[in-house]
Amino acid sequence: MSYNFDELAESVIAGDSELSAALTQQALDAGANPVAAITDGLSKGMGVVGARFKSGEMFVPEVLMSARAMTAGMDLAKPLILAADMPSSGKVILGTVKGDLHDIGKNLVSMMLESAGFTVINLGIDIEPETFVKAVSESDADVVGLSAMLTTTMLAMKATIDSLAAAGLRNKIKVIVGGAPVSQDFADEIGADGFAPDAGGAIDLCKALVA
Amino acid sequence: MYEVRPSNRQTGSGINADEPTARRSSREGRVRDLSRSQYVASNYQVNETPQFQVLSDDQCETILNGALEVLERTGAEVQSSAALEIFREAGCWVEGARVRFPSHLVEKAIRSAPSRITISDRSGKRAMFLEGNNVYYGPGSSNIYTLDPFTGERRQPTKSDTVRAAIAVDALPSISFAMDNGTVTDVTATLSDVHAFQALVENTTKPIIQSGLGVDQFQDVVDMAAAVRGGMEALQQNPFIIFYSESSPPLKHSAEGLDKAIFAAKARIPVIYAPCIFAGGVAPATMAGCLVVAVADFLVGLVAGQQVSEGAPFIMGGLMSTMEMSSSILSYGAPELSLLSAGLTCVARHMGLPMFSTAGGTDSKVIDTQMAIEAAFSILIAGLSGANIVHGCGNMEYGATGSLELMTMDDEVIGMVKKILKGVTVDDEHLAVDVMDAVGPGGHFMGEVHTMNHFREFWAPKLISRLRYDPWVAEGAKSMAQRVKEKTQDILSNHQPERLADGVLGEIQAVVDRAEAREAGKSGT
Repeated sequence: MSYNFDELAESVIAGDSELSAALTQQALDAGANPVAAITDGLSKGMGVVGARFKSGEMFVPEVLMSARAMTAGMDLAKPLILAADMPSSGKVILGTVKGDLHDIGKNLVSMMLESAGFTVINLGIDIEPETFVKAVSESDADVVGLSAMLTTTMLAMKATIDSLAAAGLRNKIKVIVGGAPVSQDFADEIGADGFAPDAGGAIDLCKALVA
Repeated sequence: MYEVRPSNRQTGSGINADEPTARRSSREGRVRDLSRSQYVASNYQVNETPQFQVLSDDQCETILNGALEVLERTGAEVQSSAALEIFREAGCWVEGARVRFPSHLVEKAIRSAPSRITISDRSGKRAMFLEGNNVYYGPGSSNIYTLDPFTGERRQPTKSDTVRAAIAVDALPSISFAMDNGTVTDVTATLSDVHAFQALVENTTKPIIQSGLGVDQFQDVVDMAAAVRGGMEALQQNPFIIFYSESSPPLKHSAEGLDKAIFAAKARIPVIYAPCIFAGGVAPATMAGCLVVAVADFLVGLVAGQQVSEGAPFIMGGLMSTMEMSSSILSYGAPELSLLSAGLTCVARHMGLPMFSTAGGTDSKVIDTQMAIEAAFSILIAGLSGANIVHGCGNMEYGATGSLELMTMDDEVIGMVKKILKGVTVDDEHLAVDVMDAVGPGGHFMGEVHTMNHFREFWAPKLISRLRYDPWVAEGAKSMAQRVKEKTQDILSNHQPERLADGVLGEIQAVVDRAEAREAGKSGT
């Protein structure tokens, strides 16, 4: 059975949470496939948003409103889908490293990743290397993203990578780093698998790493 | 319309129109009595400067009331256990880390903080009078990269780069204070600021605004500064350092940030406690909302400081601009940076507190036209706003990179702005009606003593070229960027700052060595 999800995709692009929730419910009530509602409606709309953000036609607040609209629909569709059938671009663990309390940039990356179809485990701020190790060992995540805002806490990124290696997990997962003082040179120096200068870049990086 | 001109008004240059100047020509003297003002002007209104006010007093009060309401209703998250205890004892409502502030307590803190702070130079000579509309400009700090003025390379800053920054600050006449112009990366990471201070204090006599990782580092800086001034009391009496500590907006205060403000208050060293505001990011997208967050964040530090040390010198302010909604940078070139900073300056003056502002930076990555436009605009607006301390001259790439070339160009712009701030002097001597009468219609003023006496009041450029075409070609047909680079290189190669005595240098080094030993001990455990 086919169902036209164009209007649903448009509601996500418009960042209209009420409309996206209503349209999702309407589709589900009409017997539409919930997985299709996500892939052909909600995620499809978000894909357009991502492309427009990249080209400078849309801006951060609009992307976040769209992400919220997508989530409003997802929350309705998800319970009807078996976990194994849930479409996901990949799983990413995120956290701000030990000694660093900066939250906002990391959360922006988290929201952008989710809106690009990734499943995100957001550990929070001031995260010990051991906590990252535990999260990596206990999940089937593809990527772990380390955030730091201070030149002093950048050092904890290396400590975290070293801890992952010591636990024998380094080859199991890709490590990416980001934050104001972080550069590609620094990422190479500490043996990270990738660096992105901004949230949009982080999405492309994760897509490339899980491909 | 009835017009009078003042007769007994002392002009800014100290020339009294009623007293004959020694160089007055006999021709001028003969006609002078006929046109002198004959009236005593009462309540004559004078604009000494074109400085403006972005906000009216009523609007300032509304902003302040907004901040007081936020602090009483929403409160702030405080991660310092020492500060939580101080707030609880003072009568704040404390629930876990959330502190709500009764307005009377905040108002008491505003009243007890000094409305003026005098900052001395390294020798103890009083240099920066942070009061009224006095404006002092200086560089930025904590940049991640430096733009090497010799190689053009964008690279991580080293201690030698902060030495260079100090030498440039010392040499540039319109730069009034020093900051590190980049986080020093070739030293123990936790002591970056301690090494930066050593580099600054040993290479410039100008006042220094210093940040630091934590209270230990602030203590190191105080000890070095006290060594320079010959004791703690001498330093407190004539401080040549100002501490800088940041809140974590919106309405959040890290343990280190607040503990440093409390430390400075106890040590009676002036401190800037300020947020870095991304409009639309960590504060509302509206400018009035940003001002409320900025004031509220500052007030949390002020209350803590005044509780532990009533009358401790606090400076309000912050780095405020729009968050660019594509790249998520904090824009240094945005008109909103200037408008927000000028607005907060009004609120600070309304509250009777000195103001720390921002200007002279750019979002540009290279020495180019965008850089000059953004830097010049913001320097002018900061000057017109009358903010007491204006930092950021030299900040390129939205603050990520520090450039001494930009600071050198800014020095020239500041010179122009300071001339504009002096306004137009209107008195008999400057009206020059006598001279006009003596010269007569169709004559010229080039040979007049009056012209001799006053043409040096024109602002004289040092970097901006006003040469005619042929001499400009003869001098190499250089662009502004080339002249800026050459001047920067010349300063760094040739300027010799006043050296500290060997004994003092030894004491400073001993503090650095002590700090290194302490940090080595920490990492060993």
